Amino acid sequence: MTSPPPPAMPTTNALEVRALTRTYGEGAGAVAALAGVDLAFPRGTFTAVMGPSGSGKSTFLTLAAGLEPPTSGRVLIDGEDVTEWDEEARTRLRRERVGFVFQAFHLMPYLTAAENVELPVRLAGRRRDKARVADLLKHVGLADRAGNLPAALSGGQQQRVAIARALVTDPAVILADEPTGALDSRTAGSVLALLRACVDALGQTVVMVTHDPVAAAFADTVVFLVDGRLAGRMDRPTAAAVAGQVARLDELVPHAAVTV
Amino acid sequence: MGGYTTRLALRSLRHRLTAFTATFVAVLLGTAVIGSFTTLVETATGPISSADAETLTIMGAVVGGWGALIVLFSVASTVGITVTQRDAEIGLLRTIGATARQARRLVRAETLAVCLAASVAGALVASVTGRALLAAVESGGLIDHADYGGGTVSLGITVGGVLLVCLAAAAIAGRRATRGPASVTPGEERADAGRMRWWRVAGAVVLIAYGVSMAIVTVTVTKNSDDPYEAMATSGSNAILVGVGLALLAPVLLRWGSFALRPVLGRRSAEAHLARYNTFRRAHLLAGVLGPVIVLTSSAVGTLMAVGTDGRTLPAGASDDGDTITLLNNVVVGMLSLFAAIMVINAFAAAIAHRRTELRRLWLLGATPVQVERSIVAEAAIVAAVGVALGLVASLATIVPFGIARGEGVVPDGQLWLPPLLVAGVVVLTLGAARGAVRRVARPEPARSA
Repeated sequence: MTSPPPPAMPTTNALEVRALTRTYGEGAGAVAALAGVDLAFPRGTFTAVMGPSGSGKSTFLTLAAGLEPPTSGRVLIDGEDVTEWDEEARTRLRRERVGFVFQAFHLMPYLTAAENVELPVRLAGRRRDKARVADLLKHVGLADRAGNLPAALSGGQQQRVAIARALVTDPAVILADEPTGALDSRTAGSVLALLRACVDALGQTVVMVTHDPVAAAFADTVVFLVDGRLAGRMDRPTAAAVAGQVARLDELVPHAAVTV
Repeated sequence: MGGYTTRLALRSLRHRLTAFTATFVAVLLGTAVIGSFTTLVETATGPISSADAETLTIMGAVVGGWGALIVLFSVASTVGITVTQRDAEIGLLRTIGATARQARRLVRAETLAVCLAASVAGALVASVTGRALLAAVESGGLIDHADYGGGTVSLGITVGGVLLVCLAAAAIAGRRATRGPASVTPGEERADAGRMRWWRVAGAVVLIAYGVSMAIVTVTVTKNSDDPYEAMATSGSNAILVGVGLALLAPVLLRWGSFALRPVLGRRSAEAHLARYNTFRRAHLLAGVLGPVIVLTSSAVGTLMAVGTDGRTLPAGASDDGDTITLLNNVVVGMLSLFAAIMVINAFAAAIAHRRTELRRLWLLGATPVQVERSIVAEAAIVAAVGVALGLVASLATIVPFGIARGEGVVPDGQLWLPPLLVAGVVVLTLGAARGAVRRVARPEPARSA
């Protein structure tokens, strides 16, 4: 008699990846952008993913969001394995369980702030909730800008609209790709404080890819990627400690050696 | 420096052959059609009877004149589109030190190279089709007899004229591309995007006013003329004039039209929702499609209905020019429709290609590829509905006065099936162009970065 397999452990991880691998190209020219990464992001935490260019940060985000399937490994969102889902299911996943914040804001230029926020709900074919949209805009400090088109908003304001949009479906996890890359340092600080508040006040989970040690210092934890592999983690990071670690990691990268 | 910009222009051309395909096709077809008719004029200078000479000269002049206007519009539109698509690149050129004049010279050199190749090819085509046209005119009994006398003079003048028209179009496009300050980041929306220039409004007012007053002249004056064709002379082109006038106002009219269509557009569907706001708030993007849709509808419906009325009501033996005039009407409408169709397809392809990143963004946010495609087709449906409605209104400027003048009254006595048929064709063309364009662009290929 063999004992029945143990029931799947209930997980509190909003996002989890196991042995995540993504290879681009085939044969001898194949490049592993991500080579077996294990990471778990518990609910209600703020994690920064850092690494030099080519370390696999963006690939990680692409796979976690279900934009592409991994070459091997698993992606779990809210404990549910979404790796094998087809394109349509992954589209639903993106608009219902994942919130996005991009470096370039990615607002639709012909929709007002409020209409941009409600767009994921619209795309899902659900009835829009005017009160919730108004609430979220108030939460990001733009209650009086609901009727403005993106062209009439500053960069920081546009990114706040994008954060409200990411929150509108109450997703399992918010994925942020260099959310402050296009902002000046003061505006960047207020946008990062807003992401921090999403975690502290709303209990959201935020995973942010960044190369900026100051941005990373807003997170609870920083994980470092080098050459598609995990290269360490740091809890309660400070900008100085992160900057030092990044400098050391840069030395680890073999192809970073300068040849003249 | 001039030599350098020319070399730059030729290299740039090789990089975007497809973008210039529409210009090439428009100029090739335009030269072929105009050239066929100008050879008739050259033939008319040969040893033939003066009545035949007059018929041939009129045919050549009418088609040549309309053709030049149409080629000007379509080349200005196609070149304008290829230039707008590259505002970032032209901005970059200027940032690294190219003067606005050099940038304009680049655009001019590119356009001239394409137009030269296309018009010479078109002239070669015309040297064959010109003979066929003369044979058709003769066997159709429009003239008694003429020996083909076309050749290098008429075709050379045609090519020269088409090139002048191309230069004018390139000048318009080049000015538009270098109007603002130099910049590498043109930004998603310029603040002045969609604002109408005063000369556009003025041109529209003049054209529409002229068309309408000629309609009034038809009903009040030429109606009573002994020559049944005087009424056509004052009403035949009104539909086209009013249509072009409305096309100049396309950005404003699309905004109003989209607003008026609000009750029809479903409140629930996300696609209709997106299309509605896009056509309303960014009307300037799709105005380039709306314009040709209006002109296509107004000229085809207006002219063909008038030709029908003419055929039913012409007093027997009143005039022996009837066949010539009907032929000319049909040729002009055919030419206009052909070019308007090219412009609809090209303008849609350009408008969608320009929005590639925006459509990808929708997909990132959770729109399915089907939703993306449907939102574009919904935009096309709005453009088609607004364009067809306005085109039909414009066509009345010919149909109604000519019908009254020929005693059929406000509503023509026959061919009432024609407008719905033409409208259906225009709608199918518009939706098909949109679908083809979005299919080519919006298939989301997995990209490396999120």
